[in-house]
Amino acid sequence: MKKLKYGAVTLLFATAGLFLAACSTSSSPNKATTSKTETTKDASSFTYAISGNPASLNPINTSDRWGLTVTNMIYSPLVTIETDGTQKNILADSIEAAKDGLSVTVKLKQTIKWSDGEKLTADDVVFTYTQKAKKENGNADKLWIGGKPITIQKVDDYTVKFNLPEPSAAAVNNIATETFIIPKHIYKDVADFSVKELPVAPVGTGPYKLKTYKTGEYLTFEANKTYFGGTPAIKNVTLRIIESNDTAKVALQKGEVDAAVVLPSAISDLDSHEITVYPYSETRVGYLGLNTKSDALTNVKVRQAVLYALDKSELNQAAYLNKKYYSTPNSFLPPSNPFATESVNTYKTNAQKSKALLAEAGVSDLKLNIGFSATDPAQTVQATLIQQQLKKAGITVTLEGGDGTAIFSELKKPGSTKYNLFLGGYIMGNDPDLYAALFKTGGSSNYFQTNNAKTDQLFDKAAVETDPSKRKALYDQLQKEVADDARIYPIVDNKKILAVNNRITNVKKANLVPIYTFEDLSKLTIK
Amino acid sequence: MASYILKRVLQAIPLLLIISFIVFSLIHLAPYDVIDSITTPNMSNDQVALLREKYGLNDPFIVQYVKWLSQMLHGDFGYSLINQHSITSELAVRLPNTIRLVLPAYITALFLAITLGLTASANKGKFLDRAVDAIASIGIAVPTFWFAMILIYQFGYRLNLFPIIGMHTIGKENELADFLAHFTLPYITLTVAFFPELTRYIRASANEQITEDYVTVQSAFQATRWEIFSRHISRNILIPIVTQIGLALPMLVTGAIITESIFSWPGVGPYLLAATKSLDYPVIMTLLLLSATLVILGNLLSDVLYAIVDPRIRRGGKTA
Repeated sequence: MKKLKYGAVTLLFATAGLFLAACSTSSSPNKATTSKTETTKDASSFTYAISGNPASLNPINTSDRWGLTVTNMIYSPLVTIETDGTQKNILADSIEAAKDGLSVTVKLKQTIKWSDGEKLTADDVVFTYTQKAKKENGNADKLWIGGKPITIQKVDDYTVKFNLPEPSAAAVNNIATETFIIPKHIYKDVADFSVKELPVAPVGTGPYKLKTYKTGEYLTFEANKTYFGGTPAIKNVTLRIIESNDTAKVALQKGEVDAAVVLPSAISDLDSHEITVYPYSETRVGYLGLNTKSDALTNVKVRQAVLYALDKSELNQAAYLNKKYYSTPNSFLPPSNPFATESVNTYKTNAQKSKALLAEAGVSDLKLNIGFSATDPAQTVQATLIQQQLKKAGITVTLEGGDGTAIFSELKKPGSTKYNLFLGGYIMGNDPDLYAALFKTGGSSNYFQTNNAKTDQLFDKAAVETDPSKRKALYDQLQKEVADDARIYPIVDNKKILAVNNRITNVKKANLVPIYTFEDLSKLTIK
Repeated sequence: MASYILKRVLQAIPLLLIISFIVFSLIHLAPYDVIDSITTPNMSNDQVALLREKYGLNDPFIVQYVKWLSQMLHGDFGYSLINQHSITSELAVRLPNTIRLVLPAYITALFLAITLGLTASANKGKFLDRAVDAIASIGIAVPTFWFAMILIYQFGYRLNLFPIIGMHTIGKENELADFLAHFTLPYITLTVAFFPELTRYIRASANEQITEDYVTVQSAFQATRWEIFSRHISRNILIPIVTQIGLALPMLVTGAIITESIFSWPGVGPYLLAATKSLDYPVIMTLLLLSATLVILGNLLSDVLYAIVDPRIRRGGKTA
């Protein structure tokens, strides 16, 4: 009896002790202990927390965030387009569009080597684009114009020429961006490029070489000594997959990872002596969409009435806390886009006007629902605020939070009327023609289900207009028309906030860009 | 005995078939299909149609089911639609990782529960009983993710005693000490997640036994309470415990989804979560089927163990 009792009592205390220890978390963290892991940290490696597996590691068809991040470390494109719209030559020495708009000629830099020591030549570029232009490989759309593919030919060892089936102003941008050149001598025997992982070890021209990939755990890289931008300063890079936001934050705080993306609300918890935050624009537009097919919103006046009842600055302040972490778009293009214009109807908050428009349309007691991702903190805050704001104009909104993927799958169905309003966001890139997928009738991401001949024509005209100033004027008009159509209420260009341990330096030099995070990881250094 | 086991195994087969059919139908009825997850906003409708054909999504329902089932029976679970990895090889890595975490935690929880449950029962109505009950209640009420976050914060960050992500430090895959350091926090989390309900269950079973005649008889023979509990009651509660062990079998696959995700433990949990997020339905179906199969096998196992522990059952009520 006694024996049993003592054993039980010990266990009881052990358990209770565990709970008590676990519960006393209110005091501030002990900074002295946090440096322990850092001093033992490998001085030659950088660890970046990513939130999931790359969906595809095949440079021909990858299009997801982490897949592109990895691809951008191993391979290089001909040209990149910076967020301000300027071109930066990478593998290309020059890129020139013909006057008639029917071809683009690219000269390659002649000193570039693959990570196995072979030279980069025009054959590699031709090989890459030929594979990418095949529809079955899954990423060909940008290389097709008016139902015909762009063809590519080798002019000499370091010159290639792209032939366009018809003039296209967006061609240079579409050809250049996100096509990563792969070496022909390594990949020529690959039979199927539609898979998500190619059966040969990657060889590229990027700053790093892939060493190991353990799905669900991590990817490790080592510096590519033949990198044309100079041997990277950090020898090893690890992308560590951490799905939980909270875990990633603590791992960053204690130095298990060097960098992670954090939410604005988490910044105040980070110790500014050890961690620096770098907010940067991803040219993302977060928006409220209006389903123009849903019965309540077929009338444009009703849609405008909804928009007049909203207050953008309140929505953003609540969701992103500080102006440092967002900017406010006026049109459907992100504010940093060179084509973005201010001269559109921004629907300045005006509840009276909203009510008047509803009366004009003969609508009373308007009831709407709003779909949003329940796991997205920003969208959840914004949806509840939208409910309150619309109430002031006499519009009742029911909240329908759910899984983001499921909501957008529903919205994508032609004729779907399940959601009247929805919160979403897009990162489309620089050339305004890329936004046709969202706003043109029948566009593959036309969640708004608009059918508007006027804006369709403007998209068609602007896509082939090669005179820059005329093109700009067309897009100005287009943005105005889309705004008047009241199908989208652009709310925010929210910044991505990268938090980096101070032992990593030159983050700005590595250039933070949309999707890839770091444009050129070779520029990072360790203190 | 053998015929009893054979009978139970044969009964399980049609059940497994029905389960597989239900799992397949349920996924089929979902309001979206996998094509939504592999297309990107820039793909044209032609391209989407091409992909549908390629993945056999245009075949009639029953054809898809039969194809899928026959593959499953050959041990080929197909490929993830998101990254084309073989599900079989992925599970071959992940399942052992999960078991390595769940099994020790479950065994610890079971021992903890037996000790606490019997202690509580032996002191029925007294302080110890109420204390155990309170601990179990708190344990049931505390969400796993919250408890895990507290452990991470307290022991991982503030005291900096344990690493908090993954199963190994990269480059130290074969070091036992490194593994144990990574193992401790998720192990504690899971043990705490498992033991409260088991404790209550054992306490209730033991309380039931106390009212049995044999206990009264033993008391009448002046046996001490320690003797009664250690020799008699503990043996008789073996039967309900065996049932619990059988029912716990599916936990080896899906028992640690939340804990694994929080600690980035490379087991089945994060795999299933990621697959659910990206509508990777071959993965979801495989795991659903696996876990449903284990439920059935677990029941089978507990019936068989039951028969071994309690001879009356295998005799099927016949008197010897």
